[in-house]
Amino acid sequence: MEKPQYHAIGKKSIRKDGVAKVTGQEIYTTDIVLPRMLHARVLRSSFPHASIKSIDTREAEKLGALCITSKDVPDLKYAERIVTIPSKTFKDRQVLTNTPRHVGEAIAAVAAETEELAEQAIGLIRVEYEKLQAVFDPFEAMKEGTPLLHHTILFGQEEIQVMNNIAASREIVEGDIKKGFNEAEIILEETFETGRVYHAQMEPKSVVCQPEADGGITVWTTTQTIHNVRQLLGEIFRIPLSKVNVKKIALGGSFGSSIQMNSVVPIGVALALKARRPVKLILTREEDMHDHCKYPSWIRLKLGVQKDGKLTAGHMRVVVDIGAHNTQAYPLLGCMAGWWVSLYKLPHLKFEGQAVYTNKVPACAMQGFGNPQVTFAVESMIDMVAEMLEMDPIDLRLKNYVGLGETFWGQGPTVKSIIRSCGVEEMLRKGAELVGWKEKFNSEKTGGIIRRGIGVARGFHTSGAGAPMAGEVIDYSGSIVKINEDGSVDFLTALMDLGGGTLDALAKIVAEEMKVPLDKVGISPADTRSTVYDVCTHATRGIYCGGGALHKVTGQAKAKLLEFASKILQVPPQALKIEVDEEAGQGMVYVEGVPGKRISVGEVAKTAQINNWGTIAAVDSLRQVSCPPCFMAYFIEVEVNTETGVIKPTRALAYADVGQVVNPDLARGQLFGGLYRGLGYALLEDTQYDEESGELTSGGWMTDFKMLTANDLPEMDNIEVHFTDTYEPTGPFGAKGIGEAALNPVAAALANAVYNAIGVRFRKIPITPEDVLGALRGEKKRNG
Amino acid sequence: MKKQITLTVNGVKRELFVSPNELLLNVLRDQLGLTGAKYGCGIGECGSCTVLLDGEPSLACLTLAIAVDGSEVTTIEGLQSRDGKLHPLQDSFLEHGAVQCGFCTPGMILTGKVLLDENPRPTEEEIRAYIRGNLCRCTGYTQIVQAIQDASVKGKA
Repeated sequence: MEKPQYHAIGKKSIRKDGVAKVTGQEIYTTDIVLPRMLHARVLRSSFPHASIKSIDTREAEKLGALCITSKDVPDLKYAERIVTIPSKTFKDRQVLTNTPRHVGEAIAAVAAETEELAEQAIGLIRVEYEKLQAVFDPFEAMKEGTPLLHHTILFGQEEIQVMNNIAASREIVEGDIKKGFNEAEIILEETFETGRVYHAQMEPKSVVCQPEADGGITVWTTTQTIHNVRQLLGEIFRIPLSKVNVKKIALGGSFGSSIQMNSVVPIGVALALKARRPVKLILTREEDMHDHCKYPSWIRLKLGVQKDGKLTAGHMRVVVDIGAHNTQAYPLLGCMAGWWVSLYKLPHLKFEGQAVYTNKVPACAMQGFGNPQVTFAVESMIDMVAEMLEMDPIDLRLKNYVGLGETFWGQGPTVKSIIRSCGVEEMLRKGAELVGWKEKFNSEKTGGIIRRGIGVARGFHTSGAGAPMAGEVIDYSGSIVKINEDGSVDFLTALMDLGGGTLDALAKIVAEEMKVPLDKVGISPADTRSTVYDVCTHATRGIYCGGGALHKVTGQAKAKLLEFASKILQVPPQALKIEVDEEAGQGMVYVEGVPGKRISVGEVAKTAQINNWGTIAAVDSLRQVSCPPCFMAYFIEVEVNTETGVIKPTRALAYADVGQVVNPDLARGQLFGGLYRGLGYALLEDTQYDEESGELTSGGWMTDFKMLTANDLPEMDNIEVHFTDTYEPTGPFGAKGIGEAALNPVAAALANAVYNAIGVRFRKIPITPEDVLGALRGEKKRNG
Repeated sequence: MKKQITLTVNGVKRELFVSPNELLLNVLRDQLGLTGAKYGCGIGECGSCTVLLDGEPSLACLTLAIAVDGSEVTTIEGLQSRDGKLHPLQDSFLEHGAVQCGFCTPGMILTGKVLLDENPRPTEEEIRAYIRGNLCRCTGYTQIVQAIQDASVKGKA
């Protein structure tokens, strides 16, 4: 089939918000200033687990500060993440608590004329705590007799007892693992652990709230979902949704940290409603690090395999330490099962997962939602199996991967669809050729202080959470498209751009479908009042789901355009074609082979206006009924210094299957960024706790949390990115996602490279220099 | 007790009244409405608040306004030429896809500008070393390094 020629899709362009961002004109939540605005600060628990006996705000109020405690906020439990259907949602949070369950949990808040005054007021609040026993280890937390963090929580509307601090658990079985392991000739069982990473998005979580004269509230905040924030605020404060308006605003990075309605939002709203004045609340970096982190994981994986490399059975046991609140652990466990079974074909499998409360910062989604954790375990283990079988690890992967025509679990066991595009073979074979895989992988690694190695790992992420069946997670998008009287086009969507360029991709979809030049497509400012529902920018769904809906709506507006053009040109609409005329800066409607029957989109719209036919516009929603995996492979080369233990990534080749590439340089940016955060995940990033005080040992400071800098990465000529030649038949112009896939396999590729270099298998990330030195001194090595 | 200071901000002389403990970042953002310099950490870890003080990249979140009385301050808003033309480095960031969420971008561009002023043809290693104090969580730095290096060659041409 000949490839379609596009004028916008796949073409490099300057991002539409680019000039505003390089000139400092882009406005973020932290930049908003309103008349009569107060500044808020939050008082946070100093203890990991306590009951508040009394709280005295009188001295703070004498300063002129307005104070709120748990008594001043609605007395209800809520879940800050509401993409799961209500009957499967666990609710254990309060706006302000009198039983703090981690250091840094909010217990009171103040609003004052200046931030300085608010800070002083916070210092004057007197709190009497009764300390409760805290638990920091999930296995300890599950033991009989360990005090509970939560006695009862809500599951849907039903109050349920929490047993052994287990917040959620799932067991998923397919086939008969006993039979499967009996069929195996080799059985391998290993335990893997991954770290508790902080998102470190550059903009701290923030909110500005304006109470309206009609009793409503207008909110600007760091969020990935304006509609879910609106709905939760309506539920918590019992305000009709028509009076709650959440404004879309640029977001200074997220990586999952604002996938939920963050705790700053209801605190800010409660203050603003009480003060009847606008309130601004910006978290300090230290507070932000005490707000959320990535789900850490403990994974015990058992695989059965035949000598020809065919996998016969798998058993995965997972324990996730979710910290003090259940943000979305139930779907997380389902997704982890889904990521696992969608990597390699397992005729018989069993997944058992438990999410456990501890007195730590609550974990939430962070780039991959359980996928990097599972992929680290599985892709490390595939290399171990390959070595036992004396097979090339790439051949073993090709023998077992889940590919074209097979079932993919895009969001756990209830969201399944069939794979219709797959670049796995291309990325593994071509990638191997490009990096000189065989030679480098098999070269003798002897002698010298610096040892070099190469590793490969593959993975994927879903593109959204759509499937034929409704499932446990809501997933649809909607848009409004209208053609202006000069032939330019406006579109409105609630879909957020987290920085990756999602909205630029959407603009290209409109430009391509309507055949207007890209610079004539405008992304309208949006809020919850002016847009139809979009679930969230998460699950790598922006282009595929949000773009899919917009593609549909643009098609509807185009049909109306052609209807009007047919009246003007006096031919049936089906005789009309449309093409872009870059010189005229217009889309052109014409009749093929009939000269003179040609009119610009702008003239059609203007004629419609003059004749009072109406605006050419459409509004609709779309649920995608599949969620195609965007596949990814990394080849990473490292140098390991055997004297210092430092691992230096020296080269990387990223190969991605995103279907049709929509934004070439921004898609490359997703891969560079995913590689960087993946290397940080593998080598450095973790949040650790002092188990006496329950405090973060980093104190909430970025320097002590430690992230890779520009200095710690392979040179630009040593990072190659490639895209497979694939086309997703269900996606807008053949496109699927990329975002989270770009990170998922990095840690395993790195760990596999380290093994190739020094013969030490690391089952725990981050792999620190201390770990490397310790292992070189003690651990049994390959063939040794 | 507020004191009067004078700052030349993006070429315009400003008389300002500031408290002794007032940070330059807050004076720029709150008094002058120059929100291009960002609050990212407040303690000099991330570089989002970078501005140029007498041509040197400085952390506005660690600088007391009163201590820099009489200085010239350049913020990202002052980098375009008077006719609105973008600085070559701003163009290069756009051209190379070096901008994602944009929160680190003002500080990153200002730091990059000083590097190129001091060293018009930096090596990749020199670029990476110079910008290592400006954190970016989105891009992985690759396209930022490319953008700075490309602007350096352009600047000479």
